[in-house]
Amino acid sequence: MENTELINIWKQQNAKIEKTLAINELLLKEVINNKAKSSLKSLVKLKTSGIIAFVFYLLILGHSLFYALFNYSSAWNYFIVSISIITVINIKGFSDYIKHLVWTNNINYNGSIMEIQQQLSKLQLSIIDHAKTMCIQIPFYTTFYLSNKWFPQEIGVGYIVFQILLTGSFIYLSYWLYKNHKPENLNKKWFRDMIAGSGGKSVMKAMEFYKEMEDFKKD
Amino acid sequence: MDKIDKSDIFLSVVQSNKGIIYKVVNSYCKNVEDRKDLIQEIIVQLWKSFDSYDDNFKHSTWIYRISLNVAISFYRKESSRKKISNPLTDGIIIFSDNDSFENKEKDLGVLQEMISQLKDLDKALMLLYLEEKSHKEIAQIIGISETNVATKINRIKTGLKQKFTQLKNQ
Repeated sequence: MENTELINIWKQQNAKIEKTLAINELLLKEVINNKAKSSLKSLVKLKTSGIIAFVFYLLILGHSLFYALFNYSSAWNYFIVSISIITVINIKGFSDYIKHLVWTNNINYNGSIMEIQQQLSKLQLSIIDHAKTMCIQIPFYTTFYLSNKWFPQEIGVGYIVFQILLTGSFIYLSYWLYKNHKPENLNKKWFRDMIAGSGGKSVMKAMEFYKEMEDFKKD
Repeated sequence: MDKIDKSDIFLSVVQSNKGIIYKVVNSYCKNVEDRKDLIQEIIVQLWKSFDSYDDNFKHSTWIYRISLNVAISFYRKESSRKKISNPLTDGIIIFSDNDSFENKEKDLGVLQEMISQLKDLDKALMLLYLEEKSHKEIAQIIGISETNVATKINRIKTGLKQKFTQLKNQ
């Protein structure tokens, strides 16, 4: 079989395409006039539940923090420190979430396939880094309710031991999750389930495609 | 260029290159409903980058770059169809004669089927080869060296030819 034979077979469709394909001009104009302009809006609309949840949670955190600061007493110290850290991490998470949405939406596809696809895959894989940051807040959920007035006289040794064990295990959990948030773990179900909310399947596909591109470049 | 001029020019560019969009969509997307969405997505992305179109490249190179990039990215999005806020019920590119595509030549059908089974990047490479693009142009669109283009095309072509002969003899 000659090389030209494959090309000639392929060319068989050209005449038919010219003859039978038509552009629906009205629809095309509608798409370019309305949909391109409002694509960011529609993206935001599609991610509404995530955005609302984040904003709602940040409002609760912010409100609690202000309340504690305005009614300050040393009893609030643990609460203020813990909630401040949780708030900062969640603000970072929220800004990453929005930044990610905007970047994904504004990507300019007019570049070479390798360049654009690597950029897109890296962008999708960056979700893992964002999720990693969120793990740091975990231990602070075991400290925000403590009061320095309790220590050491108001509570027993038993509770102190329990609290140390609880916070210690959450610190370990946070460290372990932080360490294991890496693309290499995408083949593990628990990890995919954890990042499912951030688009786990897309991340998985991005990783596979990234490897495919690396192999493609090597040849 | 005012907005009306711009959209008219864009329309005529898409009109003259509709075959490219059709062939890319046809090779990357099997589901008919998804094809409409993919065409819509390609048109939107073409329109978005129309202002930054570089005259040094041919319109066809620009359309290939964007169409292939969008098509390759399309299936990495979860539930692509759900993500498009207003999926189209009608297609932007319509077939005035559906039968002609159903009754296509057997060889062409076999070739198209084989192309659709290739990996995404190999598929892009073969599409451009079959469209008789020069190695230089293929290298520019894909983003690899001309030597790499030549090596890969030879390898994929050999595989395709063997498979084609096997399928035809069955």
